[in-house]
Amino acid sequence: MEFAPICVYLIISLLLSLILISVSFLFASSSSLAYPEKLSAYECGFDPLDDARSRFDIRFYLVSILFIIFDLEVTFLFPWAVSLNKIGLFGFWSMIVFLLILTIGFIYEWKKGALDWE
Amino acid sequence: MFEHDFLALFPEIFLINATIILLIYGVVLSTSKKYDYPPLVRNVSWLGLLSVLITIILLAAGAPLTVANLFYNNLIIDNFTYFCQIFLLLSTASTIVMCLDYFKEESLNSFESIVLILLSTCSMLLMISAYDLIVMYLAIEPQSLCFYVIAALKRDSEFSTEAGLKYFILGAFSSGILLFGCSMIYGFTGVTNFEELAKIFTGYKITLFGAQSSGIFMGILFIAVGFLFKITAVPFHMWAPDVYEGSPTLVTAFFSIAPKISILANMVRVFIYGFYDPTWQQLFFFCSIASMILGALAAMAQNKVKRLLAYSSIGHVGYLFIGFSCGTIEGIQSLLIGVFIYVLMTINVFAIVLALRQNHFKYIADLGALARTNPILAITLSITMFSYAGIPPLAGFCSKFYLFFAALGCGAYLLALIGVVTSVISCFYYIRFVKIMYFDIPKTWILYKPMDREKSLLLAITLFFITFFFLYPSPFFLVTHQMALSLCL
Repeated sequence: MEFAPICVYLIISLLLSLILISVSFLFASSSSLAYPEKLSAYECGFDPLDDARSRFDIRFYLVSILFIIFDLEVTFLFPWAVSLNKIGLFGFWSMIVFLLILTIGFIYEWKKGALDWE
Repeated sequence: MFEHDFLALFPEIFLINATIILLIYGVVLSTSKKYDYPPLVRNVSWLGLLSVLITIILLAAGAPLTVANLFYNNLIIDNFTYFCQIFLLLSTASTIVMCLDYFKEESLNSFESIVLILLSTCSMLLMISAYDLIVMYLAIEPQSLCFYVIAALKRDSEFSTEAGLKYFILGAFSSGILLFGCSMIYGFTGVTNFEELAKIFTGYKITLFGAQSSGIFMGILFIAVGFLFKITAVPFHMWAPDVYEGSPTLVTAFFSIAPKISILANMVRVFIYGFYDPTWQQLFFFCSIASMILGALAAMAQNKVKRLLAYSSIGHVGYLFIGFSCGTIEGIQSLLIGVFIYVLMTINVFAIVLALRQNHFKYIADLGALARTNPILAITLSITMFSYAGIPPLAGFCSKFYLFFAALGCGAYLLALIGVVTSVISCFYYIRFVKIMYFDIPKTWILYKPMDREKSLLLAITLFFITFFFLYPSPFFLVTHQMALSLCL
């Protein structure tokens, strides 16, 4: 039930942002039609040198995959952190084992150089 | 809390620890400048082989006197799991033995493939002893995940990448189906444990249009389909030939050896014990017939070795399902005998394929005049092929004989008939190997490098078993009978 204010909040913020965008349409002068240069891509004042397509760097994938893994780790940590006083030492050590395995994965990727950007 | 459970799981714990240590060792040393970035793959393979052997010793030393349920009844250890796990570890060890030479020849320097093989072996060990739908699924997934990665091991080969992608998509799809089946079963019964499922399903008539059981029926159907995808039974086999052909030969060998044992063990546990109700029997009956027929007919048209072996393994899954669809103790026993002998023969064949890998041995015709260039290897391959085909004194004949015998014993005359007919048809292409090796004069003579010592030892041992199995099969029958009994009683 406490999600209802959030829903209302979402709708209101959506409306507000739409209003903020449309206000500038109402009052701005539409001069871009007069200057076609204003519609061209901005490349520090020069014309674009080459094709906009470039090879995509694999490191972006690597970073996002690592993010997914450690994001999942955090989702497992949340219930553990909340219920730590109920699960005792056994629950504590089971999570430590989980974290150890993840740490070993982390050491692997560190040594492999997945975290160096350059 | 779980002191005894951890003791009972000692082999798995050891194997996981050994894998982790190997991973750290490999990554630290292979990126060290001090040692000039050594390719550690051979070293890690030997260490991996050693850790598998130690795991076998640990497992064998803790022979179960009786049944043990571990971790709140989530895992089970009994005679069935005990022997299946030992056999699985032996087959993993022989795969690693096969690959010792492979990485150097292929100049593949990824020690991670060995680590992944060991990890998937861990999860297959857990898969064999799974006693709960959730544990079963959680054990199947890491195994498949490791397999997806090692199928795409050769990143510069188009075929390997394609195989990895295909395997991933089909594997994820089949896991989804399996998971949907599990959730149907859970939704309609409220339990996931096999023991409780068995209690629910005793004497429960499951029909498609029954008042309360149609959901359960659909659940069983979906679980069966998911498993049939994983074991490449016929209506769901389409990925297997491409994946087997595309992935590196070592990986193909591992795919066609180890998961067959673990998935069949898991299936037997689920279907014979968990869902003891003959509703699923007709499904396996149909798949068995279809696999036998397709395996026999489609393999005839193949020119490439690995593709042919893929179809042959599909056909063999069909023969194994004969024993499965009977559902009697004799059926289970013959299924286990069939799996063991199939795995022995497959280890042998893939060791040969890996030994003949000069010039990328790909087509069957490349075997021409092997009888003259390497007569002993030619004899080995001929005997294995005769055994695959089921020629009398060899092990393959015994396995097929017991399967057909079990089918006759439970009244499935049609299965036995089709099995015999397709086994006769499949003789054609198995014997074609022999014909090519002994009677064909090739245009270009291909000389293969001599194989390494480990592979030749492996070949000698498996060939010995295949050839002289019939002289003293009783320990084997006793073990499989004990396994079948511990499952059914």
